[in-house]
Amino acid sequence: MSYDLTAASSPRLRLRVRPFRIAEAFMILMFGVAMGLPLLFLLIGSFNLAPPGREAVYGIGNWARAFSDPGTVSALWMSFLIAVVRLIPAMILSVVVAWLIARTDMPGRNAFEFLCWFAYFVPDFPLVLAWILILDPNFGLLNTAVAFLPFVEGPLFNPYSFSGIIWVHTSVSGIWFKVMLLTPVFRRLGASLEEAARVAGANSFTTFWRVTLPVLSPMIIAIAALSFIRGLESFNTELLLGLPAGIYVYATRIYDYTRQEPPAFGEATALGSVFLVVLIVLAFFYHRYLQGNRKFTVVTGQGYSTAPLKLGRWRYVALGGCLLYFTVMMLLPLAFLVIGSFMRRYGFFGIKSPFTLAHWQNMLADPIFFVSLKNSLIIATLTALAGIVLYSLSAYLIVSKRSRAAQLIDLLCWVPWVVPGILMSLGLLWIFLATPLRTFLYGSVWGIALAMTIKDSPVSTQAFKAAFLQLGPELEEAARVTGASWWYTYRRILLPLLAPMVATVGLLNFGSALTSISTPVLLYSAQSRPLSILLMEYSFTGELERAAALGLLITIIISIMMVLGRRLGLQLTQS
Amino acid sequence: MAQTVLEFREVVKRFGTVAAVDQVSFVIQSGEIFTLLGPSGCGKTTTLRLVAGLEEPDDGEILVNGIPVAAPRRNVFVAPDKRQMGMVFQSYAIWPHLNVFENVAFPLRVRRESAPAIKERVRNALETVGLAGLDDRGATALSGGQQQRVALARALVYAPSILLLDEPLSNLDAKLREQMRFEIRALQKKLQLTLLYVTHDQTEAMTLSDRIAVVNRGRFEQVGTPVEVYEKAATPFVAEFLGRTVLLEGSIISNHSGCWFELPNGAGRLLLEGQQWAGGLSARLFVRPEDIEILPFGEPSQHEVSATIEEVAYLGDRFEYSVRAGGKHFMVSAAKKNRYPAGSEVRLRFDPVRLNPRPVDHP
Repeated sequence: MSYDLTAASSPRLRLRVRPFRIAEAFMILMFGVAMGLPLLFLLIGSFNLAPPGREAVYGIGNWARAFSDPGTVSALWMSFLIAVVRLIPAMILSVVVAWLIARTDMPGRNAFEFLCWFAYFVPDFPLVLAWILILDPNFGLLNTAVAFLPFVEGPLFNPYSFSGIIWVHTSVSGIWFKVMLLTPVFRRLGASLEEAARVAGANSFTTFWRVTLPVLSPMIIAIAALSFIRGLESFNTELLLGLPAGIYVYATRIYDYTRQEPPAFGEATALGSVFLVVLIVLAFFYHRYLQGNRKFTVVTGQGYSTAPLKLGRWRYVALGGCLLYFTVMMLLPLAFLVIGSFMRRYGFFGIKSPFTLAHWQNMLADPIFFVSLKNSLIIATLTALAGIVLYSLSAYLIVSKRSRAAQLIDLLCWVPWVVPGILMSLGLLWIFLATPLRTFLYGSVWGIALAMTIKDSPVSTQAFKAAFLQLGPELEEAARVTGASWWYTYRRILLPLLAPMVATVGLLNFGSALTSISTPVLLYSAQSRPLSILLMEYSFTGELERAAALGLLITIIISIMMVLGRRLGLQLTQS
Repeated sequence: MAQTVLEFREVVKRFGTVAAVDQVSFVIQSGEIFTLLGPSGCGKTTTLRLVAGLEEPDDGEILVNGIPVAAPRRNVFVAPDKRQMGMVFQSYAIWPHLNVFENVAFPLRVRRESAPAIKERVRNALETVGLAGLDDRGATALSGGQQQRVALARALVYAPSILLLDEPLSNLDAKLREQMRFEIRALQKKLQLTLLYVTHDQTEAMTLSDRIAVVNRGRFEQVGTPVEVYEKAATPFVAEFLGRTVLLEGSIISNHSGCWFELPNGAGRLLLEGQQWAGGLSARLFVRPEDIEILPFGEPSQHEVSATIEEVAYLGDRFEYSVRAGGKHFMVSAAKKNRYPAGSEVRLRFDPVRLNPRPVDHP
């Protein structure tokens, strides 16, 4: 069929360039390619017997080899076991803490909410190091201390064990994020539901147990499921604490395969694919569960929601418990990180001049440190900017009802939540190696930034979605009616109004790009090594003191940024 | 034999520096419907919540059946679950995880009643509110009116000493609201309940209450029967809040034929029958528009003044006139049988028994 150019240029049939539709098409393409393609390559790659970049030979050899290895099944089992066991105490504690913050008159409850928020941003790898400094059987200070007690022979604590891993998880990722998610849920619950129970004759405990908890149970279960899926991708803790004890989860197993000589990409990919299938099944049931419980979540009760529950004398007990938890789980390891970074030989207080600045000096004198710092900053900046542009657009498309693809985009942007960083990287690695993108993306900061950006999609999109929903369509429509184009409206009305959220999302993504290990671990090269990987290498080569210094440095950078970011966010909201 | 069920003695409740309830004292007798009526934010809901124990007063005393339940000076505070109150919330607060039966059974379960007794009493309560047979229905699968009834049944099931209702009808549509209003009244009569009712809707207050307290800025402006507060508004706020009022300014004249209220600009004067006032006082006259009748142009009698029609609006069932008399504009509605065009001169006839002037110096 021939195409009539004259008709196309006539006013009536002119092809109108509509930015909205372009943005829509771009997002679908971008999500399809960026989220779907790595997973597709992963699946195909698992049947490819040749190493990446060579001519493909297909077969089921990888799967056969991966599953003939008893380690594979036990690694999968261990992933689930750890994810379940660590979830139970964390969920119970975070429900109680969120309830205390949102519903009671516990003194300092807002300050404690801020502490949880702060703790969430403290990177996990340095904390794991800190717990090694505290609990190590040979030099851990706690073991040295209890050795003086009677009837204690040999080290009492061992972090390189199942219980050690669980304990460290409870400290590192424990309750902080869950409290942040649960507190608004508790706040939104209409106070009248609880008050009705009180007037009906129930005391505060009965009210909590018989009304508050059951009403919120769908949300609590949803958050638990979300955390469980997230917990399955855990990598750092198991890497540092699991390997010495021979405890493998599937993520460390994949890492192990790729570190073999020659790298066993095939087996790694087969293992990754199995896990992917499991995750997709889980995600499916999770989605079904949420759909089935819609009726619960909309019932919040309205109006009059003041009068926090009076705890009486118990409120000091509650605050004491919260502060004790924070001190043991967060302040204690941070303190040991500081001590560790200044000790000549960690744990040896008896030697002459045990404290030194040498590790800081050595680190700052190391040229690799500066290359890594530069790489990290480039990756983090790229990730933050790309995240803001891409996910504000995707959220806009989802929220504005005009996009027919809204549901598809909404679903796609959740994919990286389910797919662990190391699997995403493995898929990307296949793409980078098997396509002409190799020269540009393989082992470069660009490739890592791309992976990080994809990984940030769920949280960023959700944050922007919430912001857009709050704005309501009228502001945008008012601009359109006065004659502004869609793109102009987006730039001049929507983005400025979103400034606080833009700042928040930018900082979040900057922070996660700075600290993530599992996502860049398969993608970096000597030239593109980021700080987080350098930290991992220090810890592996036994330079714990220097690792402590670097871990502390990263923690400080993140903390300063987060506190500044919160200020900025608040300012932007108020102006 | 009526006895005091609830008593407030100079109760104060502050939120920050604002006194939401400001030295309020009142008494409710058993078996009466006592309504708190006022604009939003006037403190009426806070008063109700003080009774329930959901707020703690800062000063004063609250007594239920003669026993103090909240007296900050004596360090007395009885928790809400120990007060034996029944309360219907504005949002109904139906627990979404329980079905109808369990919602109503909840107060009995926390009181550890036996299973057969619970079954019996819940059945009765549901029957009373007209929800028999809906026991197993999920609470969220109910309509607004049904949720309202569940909330009512839940509040009634353990025979509370006072039933507290916080704007219970405001979330219902107009027709249902009317129906529920009469049902609540009938229920109250049948069960001899004592009701403390909060609303901002004056019609609701008028039709339902034995006594009304008109609340403004944390204070009770007036307490009385519906007729008293409407006909003999104690303050301008009460008059204003309980329907439209026309405010006329003028002066009092006293001569041999009696006391008169004189409008400025020669609009005329109105005889204040049987009233004694000192002459020469400046005064205000509050009149309800329904007490003013429009008559064709002519010589005004002693209950009439002359006025000009400025605008006419057709409201379907009647005309609404914007009239000007004595330098004031106000709205008066009239039946459709006569139509006075804009600009025409008319007389306004004031119902003589409703003329209650207020000297300006003593508002």
